[in-house]
Amino acid sequence: MQRPIFKPIGTPIEELDTPSLVVDISALEHNLEAVHGFFRDIPVKMRPHVHAHKTPAIAHLQLSVPGNAGGIAVINVSEAELFAQHGFTDITLSSPVVSPSKLRRLCALTHTVKLSLPVDSAPGIDILSQAAVANSVTFDVLVDINTYPPRGGAEAGAPSVALAQQVSAAPGLRFEGFTTVGGPISEGSPDEMIVRDKANVQKMLDTREMAERAGLDVAVVSAGNHTHDAHVIASMAGVTEVRSGAYPLIDHRHWPHCPDLIPGARVLSTVISRPESGRAIVNAGQKAISRDMGMPKVDGRTDATVAGLNAEHGILDLEGDAIKDFQVGDAVWLLIADLNTSTALHDYIFAARDGVLEAVWEISARGLYD
Amino acid sequence: MPKPYRPATGTPIEELETPCLILDLDALEHNIGVIARLYQDADCKVRPHVKNHKSPQIAHMQLRAGGTVGGVCAAKVSEAEVMVQAGIPNVLIANQVVGRDKLARLASLALRAEMLVGCDDSQNASDLSAAAVAAGAEIGVLIEVNTSMGRAGTRVAGDAVTLAQHINNLPGLRFQGIMSHQIIDGAPDREARFTKGRADMQVVLDVKAAIERAGLPVETVSTGETWSYDVAPTVQGVTEVQAGSYVLLDTSYAYMTDFRIAAKVLGTVTSIPRPGFATGDVSIEAMASAKGLPTIEAPAGVRVTRLTYEQTFLEFDEGVTVKAGDRYTLLPAQEDMMVNRWDQYIVVRNGKVEDVWDITARGRVH
Repeated sequence: MQRPIFKPIGTPIEELDTPSLVVDISALEHNLEAVHGFFRDIPVKMRPHVHAHKTPAIAHLQLSVPGNAGGIAVINVSEAELFAQHGFTDITLSSPVVSPSKLRRLCALTHTVKLSLPVDSAPGIDILSQAAVANSVTFDVLVDINTYPPRGGAEAGAPSVALAQQVSAAPGLRFEGFTTVGGPISEGSPDEMIVRDKANVQKMLDTREMAERAGLDVAVVSAGNHTHDAHVIASMAGVTEVRSGAYPLIDHRHWPHCPDLIPGARVLSTVISRPESGRAIVNAGQKAISRDMGMPKVDGRTDATVAGLNAEHGILDLEGDAIKDFQVGDAVWLLIADLNTSTALHDYIFAARDGVLEAVWEISARGLYD
Repeated sequence: MPKPYRPATGTPIEELETPCLILDLDALEHNIGVIARLYQDADCKVRPHVKNHKSPQIAHMQLRAGGTVGGVCAAKVSEAEVMVQAGIPNVLIANQVVGRDKLARLASLALRAEMLVGCDDSQNASDLSAAAVAAGAEIGVLIEVNTSMGRAGTRVAGDAVTLAQHINNLPGLRFQGIMSHQIIDGAPDREARFTKGRADMQVVLDVKAAIERAGLPVETVSTGETWSYDVAPTVQGVTEVQAGSYVLLDTSYAYMTDFRIAAKVLGTVTSIPRPGFATGDVSIEAMASAKGLPTIEAPAGVRVTRLTYEQTFLEFDEGVTVKAGDRYTLLPAQEDMMVNRWDQYIVVRNGKVEDVWDITARGRVH
């Protein structure tokens, strides 16, 4: 585990060791209230996908603000184990599990956690059923429907209903409902994306109707990846929960789609070189802020742009006032393009309010890939 | 899996929990050997960059193999701390170190190891001096010279001369020489590497000559990269090469055919929801993708089409049989960014686990 120089609680935030991942607690609280508030008095609930931040302290805050589903979503078995250790008792996995060793781990988890597992194929159902029977446990199962863009998941309609029936009849399994994942925010205008996402979810709702006509009980209809249009999806009758990961800290990729939210996570960096008048080098590169899904931005400045991001360095182009404002040793705040891949790089979140360090949160699920 | 995950020595790799980062010991030893043999008898020596592997274990292997300056390069103070704690006697932080706390940490390290640092700014040099004096330490300084990166580094020789004189007059500092990083595009052939490598190194040597004309000896000229590892020993005046990528390699260096890819990620196919398409358990975070998608080493006939936060999307040809539970091996497009997302290497030889090494400097970005 990395050991940055820790500063005492109450330290002005720009005195932290750099580069550091800093969360503004007021922004986080604002975002939780804005999103959960919408869900508070309607039957649909928000199930936070905690992979974006990987941080139990933030997940607990999410479940403390009413409007949530009472549980979380995670990607894999090791994340489920980690969050179970941190007191979470209702966990949905969003990717299928087939390895015997991982299935044994899931069986062990069912003794303390209500788990929901996705499946998208007949062999996948057999594998789950055999593991459950062999370990004398019962798994709750969601049939994962492939909508758009193409990914894993079963075809909507009859093929998914057939899988639901297979689950329903399989020993050790309980059919719980359907799940799907929406499209990316990188395609089309906001209106076009809403049309696309509603069509996706409608396919799941139509499948639900078919399943009910076939005599199946559908308790859960869960729509994932909807930070940008959670309220639209929540208004579709028959959806029971919406999953979203980015909303508590909203990265700059999502921000234009959620203007009522406040970007809550930034990387504090330091200017380490000013080799030319129009160029500054900061000590945050790809190992401190990811560029897998886009370049970071300099927060609060239009006259400084991130021109490049090497492994260890950020390369800034400066113009106007920035040329005199950015000196060696100065703090530069970088807005994150993508939370998921940036929280994969740090061990700690430095949580601040009004520019003062208030808490240090461990990103406990960082590096848990299995 | 609760960390750390330690499969027993002798475990067949087929039984490893996935995804996991595996280190092919034969390939690692081969790569270290290629460099050691070339530099053993050359005037120029290698200074292995540890930012790529972040493992003291591998750093010690590199130094033991020979052909080195007896020390390593690191990118950050916190990375250097890991190496010094692990007994590495000499570390060049090939970067600027800025800020009171970090300078104090650097000076503290200089009490226990020979420390060198890059510098391109006179105020930063004065701050380095103050930190060294306060600690009672001596820090060697290499002026960073820009050649082809457009990043840090002095832009004109005159500035480097002025800075060298300034450093030479500061207490607690030892003006040691100059350094530079370089970059080359695409997949150059040997001739292109030599042409570009020599041109870049000449820029550095011109700065050396200018500083020497001003009366200051330039003991160290530290430059060159994995792609110019065989160029540097042919250029009179270059004393050491900062090479890092050669030890693990990745597909972006496929043109460097003397070396082999040593670090790979092992994954498991999790579903075949429709013909010709499978999902696997290796995510974008486990691989890094800014330099492109990973390449499938095995099985044949399977391609990576996308990495998501959760999965690998795989496509396969008709006639190729893929089933849930099958293993696949991914070769990285960007090894250092991949390694920085893992806590340990599962070290394998002949298909079996031989050891597990901590990636001790993972996340050491400070």
